Amino acid sequence: MNAPANIRELLISELSIHSGATPIVRNISLSLRPGQPLTLLGESGSGKSLVAQAVMGTLPPELAASRTIRLDGADLIASPPEERRNRWGRAISLLPQEPWLALDPTMRVGPQVAEVHRFVRGNAVSQSNALAQANLADVGLGHAGALYSFQMSGGMCQRAAIAIAHAGGSGLLIADEPTKGLDADLRDSVVTRLKQEVEAGRLLLTITHDIGAARTLGGTVGIMLEGRLVDYGPAEQVLTAPSHPYSRALLDADPESWARRAPTPSEDVVLAGRGLTKAFGAHVLFKDIDIEVRAGEIVSVVGPSGCGKTTVGNILLGLVEPDAGSIERRMKVSPLRFQKLYQDPPAAFPPHQTIRTGLRDLAKLHRRPWSGVEKLLTRLRLQNDLLDRLPSQISGGELQRFAIVRALLLDPVFLFADEATSRLDPVSQKEVIDFLIQTVRETGLGVLLVTHDRALAKRISTRTIDLAGADEARPG
Amino acid sequence: MSTEIVSLSVSRPRHLSVTRVIGAALLLALAAFAVLGPWLVQADPAQQDFSASLAPIGGEYLLGADHYGRSLLARLAHGARLSFGMAFLTMLTAAIPGVLLGLAAAWRGGWLERMLELLANIVLALPGLMLVLLLLAFAPGNFGPLYFGLALTLWVEFYRITRATTATILKQPHIEAAKLLGFGSGYILRNYVLPSIAPLIATLAAFAMATAIIAISTLSAISVGLQPPTPELGSMIVELLPYYAEAPVHVLLPAVLIFLLVLGLQLVARKDNP
Repeated sequence: MNAPANIRELLISELSIHSGATPIVRNISLSLRPGQPLTLLGESGSGKSLVAQAVMGTLPPELAASRTIRLDGADLIASPPEERRNRWGRAISLLPQEPWLALDPTMRVGPQVAEVHRFVRGNAVSQSNALAQANLADVGLGHAGALYSFQMSGGMCQRAAIAIAHAGGSGLLIADEPTKGLDADLRDSVVTRLKQEVEAGRLLLTITHDIGAARTLGGTVGIMLEGRLVDYGPAEQVLTAPSHPYSRALLDADPESWARRAPTPSEDVVLAGRGLTKAFGAHVLFKDIDIEVRAGEIVSVVGPSGCGKTTVGNILLGLVEPDAGSIERRMKVSPLRFQKLYQDPPAAFPPHQTIRTGLRDLAKLHRRPWSGVEKLLTRLRLQNDLLDRLPSQISGGELQRFAIVRALLLDPVFLFADEATSRLDPVSQKEVIDFLIQTVRETGLGVLLVTHDRALAKRISTRTIDLAGADEARPG
Repeated sequence: MSTEIVSLSVSRPRHLSVTRVIGAALLLALAAFAVLGPWLVQADPAQQDFSASLAPIGGEYLLGADHYGRSLLARLAHGARLSFGMAFLTMLTAAIPGVLLGLAAAWRGGWLERMLELLANIVLALPGLMLVLLLLAFAPGNFGPLYFGLALTLWVEFYRITRATTATILKQPHIEAAKLLGFGSGYILRNYVLPSIAPLIATLAAFAMATAIIAISTLSAISVGLQPPTPELGSMIVELLPYYAEAPVHVLLPAVLIFLLVLGLQLVARKDNP
């Protein structure tokens, strides 16, 4: 029933990808065998997604791949488009990132699996439905065939995508950021599922910047930097004793390996919420919670997605009205000194305005000298030539640091960091967090950090509020 | 899997599509004809010369003459200027209040938005041409009511598009960030909202002008718009229609000019190809 297609090996040798004359990916050699999953780690822009696209045969037309990618002897780069298209779903399947967006929202899950049997494999209707039911049962979704994607959790959607790949009979799975946007528990279940795929004899190529996922998957790990493969070998070896300095930096940046370094707070309360309650319609997010943020401390709010973490911060900032409860701000402090960092840095900057114009207008508005801006830029190690770019032309990590500059220019007493590092790769995340902690120590800023990363929260905050349990945990 | 691709396409220089260049060139040529034509062609568009009635193209009169012996070239140039000018004026009169009301509704919301929505729905429920005819009944054949009536039907589209897109933009995090940083509503509207909606408004403006040109000629053709002897393209067609058997090309000339004007505007308004 669930016999994987017989693919013995994927062999990539000396793969390069060029845009015009500029090389973007240089000289990559990898191999992938059953029982040995391969995980590519690296920041966005390192070229790891391009390698996967080259394997799929979905590189954009302006990019050219050279040398060879062999799937059991068939050359993937040299094969004509219709042959490539024939492989999609049948030999190679992509497990899309954020699968809840990739599934058809107007179609129940069962029929979405059955249509693969019906139209890709050419089976009869009744047989397709039976096979689809078996595929769903295989991934533990036997009961869920009648659900729509929006009625399922992120983990269930991920498993539905895997069931669809099974239906096509693909022997090679490419998982693109499979853990992106999932909280810790779901993350573990998705990674476990991927491991089962490997044990069933499928080839698995995973692209991620989640080091924890790479560690659990095991097999072979490759670390990419600026289009090159800088480290490659068995997971135990690469993830414990990497040879390249970048790999070391990447591993050090994993919050799991940080030392605990929460700043020591003062007694001075900057902002407090008492008895906060909020409901959207009949759905109660939280009830009667108390939060205090003191000067010079980091308070974390953790919990699964949809539990109302962001709403807590927005209520404290006065952006959302609570249903019950009150907010107390320190007396005689300008409201401008309560600031916010956003989850998606490019969305927090106006798309048509260069960074320089934005900062200049801000400095002018509040009568701050430009030299003050420059001092902050140097402190946050931001190059001057970035100033004349648009937000879309700057990496997320740099943009988030510009957001910090913007906030610090107003001399804040309170900063609400709303998942401020969740979309950054580990190295950028560490840089941003380092600057935040440094600022907290130096200026006595109070930070409310909303995150789904419990490891991160545990390492840097003085107190953690868990919205899943909704009671306040004391530092331990 | 798309992060790299996005950054690549951002760095690529933007260029206009071929169709938009053709449209712009066409409009430029027609604008030159409309602006310079009446000045270069010295002939009076109302000057009658019965000996030259229905003179053929290419003779003493470059584009021939109509049944009263009036120079068609002069009449076409004046007609183009009239159509272009009126369409432009109508578009401006519709766009400015439309955009401003749209911004106000999206920004303030509440009762202001509800009142404006109600008003827009009422105007939309009336057939556009009927509104114009209603106003024209007060002063038939006059420029004022024709222009005012058209603007009154066209502003709704500007208002609706502006309100809807502005409301989406105002929900984005960067607007919230700007408010937290202390920027006022004027700054946010000028620097954040207008640059985002400007391309949309430009497209709408081209469509509105095309609509206005067609409406003016249509109304003049059914003799409720501008009256003869005004050299208006629509009424020229109707005036020449009885002589179709003798001079078929003469009838077609104003029609072709209307067609080219609208085609140019539509091409310019086309979206860049995906």
